[in-house]
Amino acid sequence: MKHPLRGAFSSMVLATGLVLAVSSCGFGGDKSDDSDPNTLSFLAPVYSDGTKAEWDKIIGDFRKANPDIKVTLQTESWDSINDVVRTKLQSKSTTPDILNIDAYSTYATDGLLYPAADVVDPAVIADIQPGFAKNASINGTQWALPLFASARTLFYNTDLFAAAGVTAPPKTWAELTDDAKKVQALGNGVSGYGLPLGSEEAQGETSIWTFGAGGTWSDGDHITVNTPQNLEGVQAMKAIADAGATEPNPGATNRADVINAFIQGKIGMIEGLPPTIGQIAQKNPALKYTTAPSPTKSGDPSTLGVADHLMAFKKDGRKQDAIKKFLTYFYSAPVYSGFVSSEHFIPITVSGAKALADDPVTKAFATILPSAKFYPSNNPKWGAVQGAIRQQLGTVTQGADPAAVLQKIQQAAS
Amino acid sequence: MSRTPSRAAAALRALPWIGPVLVLIAAIVGFPAGYMLWTSTRDLSAYGTDRGPAGWANFRKLFALEELPRILLHTLAWTVAVVVITLALSAALAQFLNKDFPGRTAVRLAILVPWAASVVMTTTVFDYLLDPDVGLANRFLVDIGVLHRGFGFTKEAGPAFLVAIGVAAFVSIPFTTYTILAGLQAIPAEMDEAGRVDGASPWQRYRYLTLPQLRSAMAVATVINLINAFNSLPILQVLTGSIAGFDADTTTTLTFKLIRQNQQLATAAAMSVLNFVLIAVIIAIYVKVIRPAGEEAR
Repeated sequence: MKHPLRGAFSSMVLATGLVLAVSSCGFGGDKSDDSDPNTLSFLAPVYSDGTKAEWDKIIGDFRKANPDIKVTLQTESWDSINDVVRTKLQSKSTTPDILNIDAYSTYATDGLLYPAADVVDPAVIADIQPGFAKNASINGTQWALPLFASARTLFYNTDLFAAAGVTAPPKTWAELTDDAKKVQALGNGVSGYGLPLGSEEAQGETSIWTFGAGGTWSDGDHITVNTPQNLEGVQAMKAIADAGATEPNPGATNRADVINAFIQGKIGMIEGLPPTIGQIAQKNPALKYTTAPSPTKSGDPSTLGVADHLMAFKKDGRKQDAIKKFLTYFYSAPVYSGFVSSEHFIPITVSGAKALADDPVTKAFATILPSAKFYPSNNPKWGAVQGAIRQQLGTVTQGADPAAVLQKIQQAAS
Repeated sequence: MSRTPSRAAAALRALPWIGPVLVLIAAIVGFPAGYMLWTSTRDLSAYGTDRGPAGWANFRKLFALEELPRILLHTLAWTVAVVVITLALSAALAQFLNKDFPGRTAVRLAILVPWAASVVMTTTVFDYLLDPDVGLANRFLVDIGVLHRGFGFTKEAGPAFLVAIGVAAFVSIPFTTYTILAGLQAIPAEMDEAGRVDGASPWQRYRYLTLPQLRSAMAVATVINLINAFNSLPILQVLTGSIAGFDADTTTTLTFKLIRQNQQLATAAAMSVLNFVLIAVIIAIYVKVIRPAGEEAR
């Protein structure tokens, strides 16, 4: 009796085990005590080394004022928080009561969230700047509370500019390319403009350029990726890369890489974020740099604004009072402005902006904030589109046709 | 054929002894595999909520990916290259380690080091070595004047894919070398002596005396390397994860991208099923073609 397939079978069993060990996802998860209406679980991403300590302090102070309410904090890196959220949402008992993340729309449209008005006092709602409130609303209902804002602005190295003979920051794309070429010509491994189109954050850089051509990612209801304006923005990115005025291989460069290179004085210009100011102060305070509005096609200011959000999950609906107390406490001007300034972002409440009027970050970014456009984060399809931009867009600097790439990304919205 | 009933009876009698193992296999292999199949036919939201049955929609979506054929080709190239390079180098290394020379133990231990480090760690070291601006390898090439500016070995899909193959072979060599070394040590020294007496050249002795004896060790090494290389995620993820497009992707990294970037959990589940079928088929063919020693004796 021969069993020619026995070996195959046992190998398959072995293969099964290995495949599953690699690909299986978790069942269950950690059980926290979810029955107590006064115990809140709070899941937040790490913005900086101080994020956890900052939240711990806020939660501790809140506890002193409300001894009966307990908030248990869990922090996760941005790299893993989406996976953690996916795992936790599999069961009601592990779903966080309060979540801090960028996108809220899929949870809102699936009916998992409290409307914002149900989880903070009306005064807080009124305090939020209207543009941000609108960005957190779907069909007129506000589902999430913007936490703080970030925007992009041009950071340029004044030493490199002086060495290359550039006197003023560029306003238009033509000037940008010109200046970048001059800086690049200095040699010594210096790049003119940092263009991060790697898979980490390509949607950010791309948006700055497409918005700079008058484009947008949504007409209100539908995702609009392959519009003539967006195409113009992407072609301009391709052009500056093809002109050799950027770092090599923009299609594989992450945002963190260009920021680090800028801090080390290896790049003439980048689109920086509010926390970049803090990073420079910490890692290379000797760096001579200034900020200016992002260059656009016509020279009119326009930039990308990003807001992260706090949202409250409804679950069985018994924790609303406790959530309301905690979030209302958090948005009170002293607590809120303390948190925002320690994280080096831009406040989104009127009272917070007043409290931080002298903060260097608020000063550098407040002027451009009115011209900022946002991601269509109230569209449930945006998540997949954003992923497709990260995945595909960098290929335009590797020879792919911009129109075809945009067409492909548009398909992610269907 | 008349033995069949008695075989069934024998199997039944053996059940109390093999039962626990069967339960274990069902629980840790059967259930997850079944669950994977089940998931691939469900309509899942971006964060994993089950919205009901999807029929074949997930598979249709998967096969509609225009990059899929290219990625399947990459997977084939990746697996074959990694396994062949690993086996060739390991066989040579094992032959060397089988010789008696001073310091052999130290050298054998040195070979084990890459195995002791985590794959992500090893890969990250290579990634830094090859970094265009700060990598030691690039700095060296610039300093000796070969390059004008650091080359992005890990920044372009093609070169990065080749580097990844090299790293994958590097991390697979310790295990493979030791498997083959174990096979070599089981070969009686008389065989080689007999070959020598008969006037066979070293290559002839290796080809016609040693290699056939290594058949079962080689078979084990090949199957395990096939599975490992096919399913390898960390090396490609670390080295090529930031590169836009799909030019350096295998089916395993595609699964990862479908989850992380496209937010299509259900399509990724379909991809996992396809992956599972592919590896099962590859191994079935391999085992059928090169039946490990011992099988034909039965």
